[in-house]
Order: sequence, then structure tokens, then C-alpha cells
Amino acid sequence: MVQNKLKILILDDEPIVCKRLKPSLEKQGFEVDTFTRSFEALQAVEQTKYDIIITDLKMEGMDGMRFLQEAKKLHPDSEIIVITGFATMETAKESFKKGVFDFIAKPFNLSEIHRVVMRAEAKIRGTQA
Amino acid sequence: MQKAMAAMGWFRNLWHRLFKKPPRELVAFPEIFEHFQTLLQAHQKVMEIIADLGEKSGGDYVFDRKYLVDQVHQLEDLLLRLVKDLNLISGNRHMALYAALDRILLPLEAELRGRLSLTEEMPYVVELSLAPLDLPELLGGKAEILVEISRRLNLPVPDGFVITTRAFRRFMEHNHLYERIHALLVAWTSGELDLTQVSRQIQYAILAGVMPQEVAREIRQQAQTRPFWAVRSSAFGEDEELSFAGLHESFLQVPRSGVLEAVKKVWVSLYSPEALSYRQRMRLLGEEAAMAVLCQEVINSRASGVVHSLDVRSLDNDRLVIYAYPGLGRTVAQGLANLDRFVVERHPPFHIKESEVALKEKCWRPAAAGGEEEVALSQEDRRRPALEEKDLETLARWSQTLERYFKRPQETEWALDEAGRLWILQSRRLAAPQTVKLPDIRQVCSHYPVLIREQGAVAHAGVGAGPVFVVSSDQELESFPEGAVLVTRYTAPWLAPAVPKAVAIVAEQGSPAGHLATIAREFRVPTLVGVENAPALLPQGQEVTVDTHNRMIYLGKVTELLRYELIQSTVFEDAPEFRLLRRILKRIAPLYLTDPLDPNFSPEGCRTVHDVVRFVHEKAVQELMDLPRFLRRFKEARLFTLDSEVPLGLKIWDLGGGVDPEAKGSHITAAQLRSRPLKAFWEGLSQPGVWSTEPVPVDFKGLMASLTRPLGEGPGAPPYAGINLAVVTEDYLNLHLKLGYHYNLIDARMEPEAHHNHIYFRFVGGVTDPERRSRRARLLADILSRYHFKVDIKADLVLARLLHLPQEEIRRRLIALGQLVGFTRQLDMQLKSDEDIGLFLESFLQRLEPAEGPQSP
Repeated sequence: MVQNKLKILILDDEPIVCKRLKPSLEKQGFEVDTFTRSFEALQAVEQTKYDIIITDLKMEGMDGMRFLQEAKKLHPDSEIIVITGFATMETAKESFKKGVFDFIAKPFNLSEIHRVVMRAEAKIRGTQA
Repeated sequence: MQKAMAAMGWFRNLWHRLFKKPPRELVAFPEIFEHFQTLLQAHQKVMEIIADLGEKSGGDYVFDRKYLVDQVHQLEDLLLRLVKDLNLISGNRHMALYAALDRILLPLEAELRGRLSLTEEMPYVVELSLAPLDLPELLGGKAEILVEISRRLNLPVPDGFVITTRAFRRFMEHNHLYERIHALLVAWTSGELDLTQVSRQIQYAILAGVMPQEVAREIRQQAQTRPFWAVRSSAFGEDEELSFAGLHESFLQVPRSGVLEAVKKVWVSLYSPEALSYRQRMRLLGEEAAMAVLCQEVINSRASGVVHSLDVRSLDNDRLVIYAYPGLGRTVAQGLANLDRFVVERHPPFHIKESEVALKEKCWRPAAAGGEEEVALSQEDRRRPALEEKDLETLARWSQTLERYFKRPQETEWALDEAGRLWILQSRRLAAPQTVKLPDIRQVCSHYPVLIREQGAVAHAGVGAGPVFVVSSDQELESFPEGAVLVTRYTAPWLAPAVPKAVAIVAEQGSPAGHLATIAREFRVPTLVGVENAPALLPQGQEVTVDTHNRMIYLGKVTELLRYELIQSTVFEDAPEFRLLRRILKRIAPLYLTDPLDPNFSPEGCRTVHDVVRFVHEKAVQELMDLPRFLRRFKEARLFTLDSEVPLGLKIWDLGGGVDPEAKGSHITAAQLRSRPLKAFWEGLSQPGVWSTEPVPVDFKGLMASLTRPLGEGPGAPPYAGINLAVVTEDYLNLHLKLGYHYNLIDARMEPEAHHNHIYFRFVGGVTDPERRSRRARLLADILSRYHFKVDIKADLVLARLLHLPQEEIRRRLIALGQLVGFTRQLDMQLKSDEDIGLFLESFLQRLEPAEGPQSP
């Protein structure tokens, strides 16, 4: 069965994160856009619906938290995956008890994020069916 | 980080104030004990961070710069604590460690700052053979690649030297050029001046600039070593996305007196109109431009050309292309048309599939008076191929090695000199056509049979395919073929020579923090460790494809996946964060202080973080073992005596969890031991027949030697001779044994987490003459190597180390060490000739705990 490719947005102000994640998720069959600035990511979200959004929390300019809230408002059924440093993990979990699909602590390995993304994919495909 | 530095200064001052003449026994024993405990914990934590950083450098993890900064900060805090604790324990005998910390931590801090991080210690001019690795910021892209080719891949590159970006920066500052250039660039972008004017003015300013004396002196010193040089640009930032190729100058046949001027001319090319508008397009104008200059021996080539590691015109054929032409490289630089063209298979034995020999009329030769001249070719040379078959094979092999290492199709310039030797002049990424249509890779891979699925841990990420070659001894290692998949049970250090030749490595044991993993990363070889049953599941000679991204091993060559990786995937090794990690690891992870008896085993001798923690650990243990002081401490410490048939009178000092808490009185039995490493050791030592109370017959010569050699003589004799002592916790053992005249130290950790574990074994001294003692040392070294210890011998001192094995493997080895200690008690008496070593070795190995574990044949 040929399924539509799911669209993923990645936002992290460290370019290395985008640079590593994009090809790796594309190889898994996703369509991926990456951003290092939150306002640009927000513009993209206003124009396109992403099935999965992967974002860091602590960034210069607009905070990841605010971006998330805005993105969720626009597309309530986008699945959100938060990647954040070990140090900020507990705060992150605390502030996002609802509305976040999963949390991943940095540094993470690629198979770790693949697993989470695949679970999100299963959930999305499940609700569509 | 500044906080940490300030804290360090503060500690130093505090200590000087408090203890100008430190009273030695000021600190009470329970406190010392506490400091020893926290010291051990900090030591452990440092080793964990070192292992963690090593693992992260393997490409399986996504990390950012912040992670690196955090880890280094944590290391700094821990090192401060370690040094503080050691000084508390020792009455401030190791204050010199603070200077060592400054020396190691300040450059680390500098590394973490900024993108173009040039520090004062970096050279203005450096020989290619001595240039630091992983520093494109200093050497520029081109020179950095040549250093990697010659040093990591061991391929021939013409000698030479690099005028570094630091020299460039010094020149610019010396002549106040940054300010002027900035003003001119602003004038250009605001439309005040046009591109040509700006470029010309900047270039004049540079050419008129005065070379700072110290820079000029170093350049002249290097330049005078040859009459002529090839002088080339090596700009920083010439990486995969920013190809400045062709924008910067090169000069051939520059006489030594002209090198200084040529260097300036190369620098000037950084500000040519083309280069400036390129940087503007790429939005790089604001960034500091920096240019290193590469000066190399001129190869008077009989033939020259380029190799494309992949035939981009027909990707499906899996072939490479070699272009060649007689004479100097000028013809080749003018274009690839009208050159000899050879199409060769991409795998050994590199069959030639097509050869088109061009009709050649003229070629370039070095002119007698310097420079180059174009000469006509003789009739027979016009139709003769420019390269012989054996050279084609060599070039094909090199190009595959380069592609494997740089992880991208390569365009490699080569030259064949008059003596018939081949040289690599340059290698860069081959521009692949953008229109390559790649299949859905998951779909394609799913059609290949899988030999091993989702097993093991990634030591270095990537994909590699080739025939399986199982290695289990050093003899087999010698015949390890280029381009094979290395399959092994253990990740023993002696496998290192095969690593650069391997396309992938699969090990049954080992951890991503281990020694082999480190070497695999150095050579960028995709490596999986901890793959259960790998040697059994991967048949010798069978072609397989190792894919660490999915931790899969496929039967056969998955060509589509290999091509996908080559063209589509990111080369994580080239990301700035990875290079930074590799550089800081060099200041953190290597261990240079291995021998506590070496005079260099001192704070001054510490070169890395690992050295410092090794030094601190050794000294802390020594402090606690210092006999006169220690005897006083005995009064306070609770010591048990181990009652056993083995009459060692072993004293046990339990630092927590090492002895049954129910134990009463001062005597315990082996059954009351809780320390896992001591239990294992004792299990070996107390096996039937291992420890014989019967005296070993002493022949006359041996006896005489033992009688005339006073106790405690020699460099290795400990100050606390005569006491057999084990300092233990539940998973830690520090064992000092004085058996006959041998002195034995075993330090071991045995936890469920493999990367925490280690065994350190030291053996020295003994009755009888020096010759026999060194014979015994060699025997021990042989036996320990069979158990995959890294062994160093110095006269009769044997040092063996082993890291990161799983708990069960550590246990097996401690049992073996117990047996070994029992056997070798008076062994030196019996080793009468070198031939005896082999005999003893065999009989030991038959009786000892097997190195390979019960499941092996």
C-alpha cells in the first residue's frame, strides 16, 4: 500500500541537530523541513500543516515553548516531540503535561528518535484510518 | 568556565595561606577515609565522562556544542575536587597538580570558544609531517586533507610545510589590515565603491604589507630546505558546501627566495573580485576570512592525472575512472578531454574494463632554467598509454581508500615521478550529478537477506561492504586483506593494524568506549560491537553489508544502500561539532602516564585529563598504603584477616559492602566475602592444586641469587613490604600482595556496566638473577596477552591493563589472575632457559580459566 509521506518540521537553533536529523528521517521515508529560527518555523507552520513537529525548547528569539503553543493552536492534531538538554528535562515535562507526544533528552541517538517518530506515525495513521 | 578557573586560583591561594608548612597528620583518619571515597567517586565519574565523550564521537548520537561545553565544565569541577581531595589526604604534597590543571584546562577552554579558534600555542609555520590533525581552522581545507591522507591513511604525499591561518592573522593585525578591509567592504556593500575598485585596493594593501619578522623567519627557515616549491592556497571554509575551487591562486616552481612574495600573492587571491562576490553570494562577507598557504616539493612528473573514484556517467556499473597524460599536470588542469581514459572496477583485483588511449602531440616538462616548457612527444610516445597496468591498480586502490575515509566520491590528483613512484597531490569531493534518482532505500534493503538484525552497539556509524575475515590471532591479522569486513570476538588492542584496511568491523565483545572503538573512529571505519555470536553467524569469505544505522548485517553487497550513503547521507565526521569533539578528546582521553615508576610520572608529566586522574588515583592509593602512617591508621580502621587454606594472612579493609555485614570479630572466611572482584580472585587462587604449600625446588644458582639479594631492593619494592592487604568495596578491589620476593598489585572494578570496569595488574621483583626475572616477565606478558590485556614490560616489571569488559569477563580474568598469582609464586626458579617459557605457557593455558569463555571450542 502506498501511503502519503508524513511531513515533519524540525526546529533547533543548533544547525548540527537539523543537519543530522533531516537526512536520517528522510531515509526513513518522511518529508522533512528544518529551521534554526523559531519565527521562520512559525511562518512555515502558518502555511503548511506538519504531521509531526520536533523542537528544542531553549532558543534565542522566540522561545520553543511559545512556538509550540502557537503551532498547536493552528494545528491541534500535529504531534509534538520535544528535544531538550538533560538539565531542562524536568521543567519541560512539568510545563507540557498535555499536548506533547514525547520528550527526548539531548544528546540522543538516531535510533532513539526514529522509534519515537515511528510511534507518532502509528498514532497518526491510526486516527486517520 | 571562568568561574571554574577562578575557583582554581582561589583553592590555590587558600591552600598556600592555610598550609605554608603543612602539618602532615592534621587531618583525622575518618576524614581522610571520606576524602578517599569521594576521590574514588570523582575518579569514576571522570572515567564515565571520558567514555561518554568517546562514544558520542562515533556518529550514532546527535549532540550540540552546548553538550560539549557542559561536559568539559563538569570535568573541570571533578578534576578540582580530585586534586583537592588528594591534597587533603596527602597533606598538600601534590600542589603542583594545580599548574598541570591550568596547562590542560586552559587550552580546552580555548577550543570551546568560537569557530575560528586559534590559540597562542599554535604555530605560524608547520611541517606537513608534524601538522596537527583535525584543525582545518589552522591549516586550511586543502592542507588538512593532505595531512589526513598521509598520516591517517598512510598514502604518499609530497613533503612540504604550511603557513597557517595564524600567520595570516598575525600579518593582517601587524599591518592593521582588518580595519581597512572592513571599511572597504562596507563601502562596496553600500554602493560607494564597485567590486573591482574594492578588490584592487585590498589587494594592494596586502601586497604592500610588511611580513612580521617572526613569521618571515619561520617561512625562510622552511623554504631554504629545497630549491623550488609549489605554493598553493589552502583556505579555511573550502568544505563541501563552500567550494572555492579555482578561485584561489597556485604557483608552481617557485624558487626558495620567492616564497615570501608568493605567499602574499596567494593571500591576495582571497580578495579577488571573483572570491569576494562568491563570498557575498554565500553571505560570508561578515565572517573573518582566513587563508593558509601550502608549500610542497615539486614532483617532476613523468605522467600526471586525476582519478574519479566513481564513474558519475554510469553509476550503475560500479566503476571508477582514471585519467592520465605524460608530463607535468598543466595539461590535465586544462581539461579532461584528450587524456588517456581507463575505466576500472571499483573492487579488487580492479579489472580494467575500458581503456581509451589518446593520440598525444606535446606535453609539459620542467625547463632547464626553471619554469615549464611545452615539448613535442616522440612518435612512439604519442600512442603509448601514459600509465602501466600496475600503476592503474595502485591508483584504483588508493581512490577507494580515500573514498572510504572521506565518505564521498573523490576526485584525486596524482603524479608519477621520474623514479616511477606515485604521489597524491590533492583529493577533493567529486561533484556528483544532482539528478541522481535514488530509490526508496528502506524498500530496497528489505529485499536483501538479513544475517544479523538489530544487534550490538554503534562504535562508529556508517555502512561498509566486503568479504568477512574472522581474526582470532595476530598471525591471521597479518594476512588481513584490504577492503574486508573485520570480524572478531574481542576488541583487543592488537587488532589495531587491521583497522585502516577494514571496510567495517563487527566484534562480539567490547563497548563503544573501548580501545578498538577509539581506533575505528580515528580511521572512520563503521563498527558494531557487542554483536552476539558474530563469528559464528558471519561465515569467512562471505560478502556482507554492515549498516550501523539500523544495526543490520545483510548477506551480499547492498549496492543501492552503499551508493545512497556515498551520495546522499551527511558526512557527520566533517561537521564542526565532531571535529571539535575529536580535538578536545585528544586533550582528554589518551593516557600517557602508564608507568608509576617512570620519573615522568609526575604533575609535570600530565598531558591529558586522563593522565591527571591516573596520577591522582595512583598517589591516593599510595598515600593510603604508606606503611608508617598506615600502621597508625590501622588502629582506627576495621581490618579483617581472611582465614583460609591459602596461608596468605590477607588483611581486608572494607570501604563498604565488601564483607558480610553480619561478620563478627576480626577474622572472616572466604564465604563472608561480598566484594565481587576479591571473591573471583580468591576463587582462582584457592582452587585445588593452584596454591601448593610444598616449597618449589630451588636450584643452586637460583638459591644463591635469592640469598644475596636483599629484601626491598630495586625500584619496584614497595615501602609496605610484608603486608598482604585488600582494600575492597562491593565492586572494587585494590590488592597488594607480597609473595616470596614478588610484589603484586591488582586494582579492579567489576560492575554490571561494562564501561566502568577495569583490571590493572602490576608485578615486580623476585628472587633470582635478572635474566630469570625478565624471562618470567615475558612469560607473564605472554599469558596476560592471551587474556587480551594490554601489557608493558620493563626489565622485570610487568604492567597489564584491561578496560570496559562485561562483569562476567572481568570475573573470568580475575579467577585467572588468582590462578596465575598462585602458579607464579616461585616460578622464576623453574624457568631455566628461554625454551621453558613456551612449555610453561602451554601448561598454564591448559590449566587456567579459558580466555575465550565456556562457549568457545
